[in-house]
Amino acid sequence: MEADEFVVRAKIDIQTLDTWLQSGWLAPHRHEGGTRYSQADLARAHLINDLSDLGVNDAGLPIILDLVDQVHGLRRLLRELVSAARSRDAQDEAG
Amino acid sequence: MAADPYDVLGVKKDASQEEIQKAYRRLAKKLHPDLNPGNKQAEEQFKGVSAAYDLLGDADKRARYDRGEIDESGAERPERRFYKDFAERGSQYTSDAGFADFADDDILSRIFAREGRATVRMRGSDVIYRLELDFLDAINGGKQQITLPDGSRLDVRIPAGTRGGQILRLRGKGRPGIGDGPPGDALVEVEVRPHRIFTREGDDIHIDLPISLGEAVLGGRVRVPTPSGAVTMTVPKWSNTGTVLRLKGKGVSRMDGSTGDEFVALKIVLPERPDQEVEKFVTQWGGTYDPREAMEA
Repeated sequence: MEADEFVVRAKIDIQTLDTWLQSGWLAPHRHEGGTRYSQADLARAHLINDLSDLGVNDAGLPIILDLVDQVHGLRRLLRELVSAARSRDAQDEAG
Repeated sequence: MAADPYDVLGVKKDASQEEIQKAYRRLAKKLHPDLNPGNKQAEEQFKGVSAAYDLLGDADKRARYDRGEIDESGAERPERRFYKDFAERGSQYTSDAGFADFADDDILSRIFAREGRATVRMRGSDVIYRLELDFLDAINGGKQQITLPDGSRLDVRIPAGTRGGQILRLRGKGRPGIGDGPPGDALVEVEVRPHRIFTREGDDIHIDLPISLGEAVLGGRVRVPTPSGAVTMTVPKWSNTGTVLRLKGKGVSRMDGSTGDEFVALKIVLPERPDQEVEKFVTQWGGTYDPREAMEA
């Protein structure tokens, strides 16, 4: 989706979007035709909104985003490890 | 959603907007799916809490709900997708910072290799080396080589003025990354061997300089070693043991281009073998000076 649709669905105004882009809180893919926002960008925008509603200020937000990203990275790795271990178990049983 | 939004948030019907917001924050902190990614039950509860807050957190909507103009579902939004649903599958935001230092673990790399997961991308880990430097090499800087456990060599540029305990970072010289992840860094911890005559304090060099009785009494020009080579220095007349002279700029180079100083402590040294001439002279001199006067010994 493009910026105008994105701000409506994320319930923010265009200035806020600019600030978030400048702070690096949002990093949408840029194409030749301009910037395209994905569902992941939208979900992240909702998360930023939720965190602000919770009273997190602008100084705390990037810290929390970074930690949340790390947790998700770790959960992803853990999932891969579990599935790798499972497939090895299966191979062992077959062999 | 059929539950009463006031019950969901745990507030009374006549709660103020502020109380409603407080109640929402308290619950959301506990239940937000992105802050509790493993808790399915919390996610369901959060959806209810967030829908209830959507209705009651907005004074207009709340008034319409209270008047019965809209029901509990009035504020329900289309199924919301949480950030974790995307982040965990991998997006531009997913971070490997939480486990980058495991990248060279054998078990991990074997599993990744067998699974053929081209998507896995990790920075290689840092490797720590120790390098023992000669005192003067650390002060004057230069190139050193480290031999790695696998026999290969690594060139290390030593900046002038390097201190013991300092860590030099060589970018990209650590373990290779996994996938197309960047390699880690080599961290070289420097140890400096002591010197026979120089000692270092910060960026200054200290040295004890032996002088003869004659040089002490009459003064004169003497050669003094410094880290950058020997220089000539004038010893003033009547210099005592313990007198400290400063050679400006003969210390250790600093990062900003300036240099520390060398401090030369004079030490009067008699000839090793007793000299009859000297003994005769001192007897004739027969001074009454008592250097221990102040000690009251």
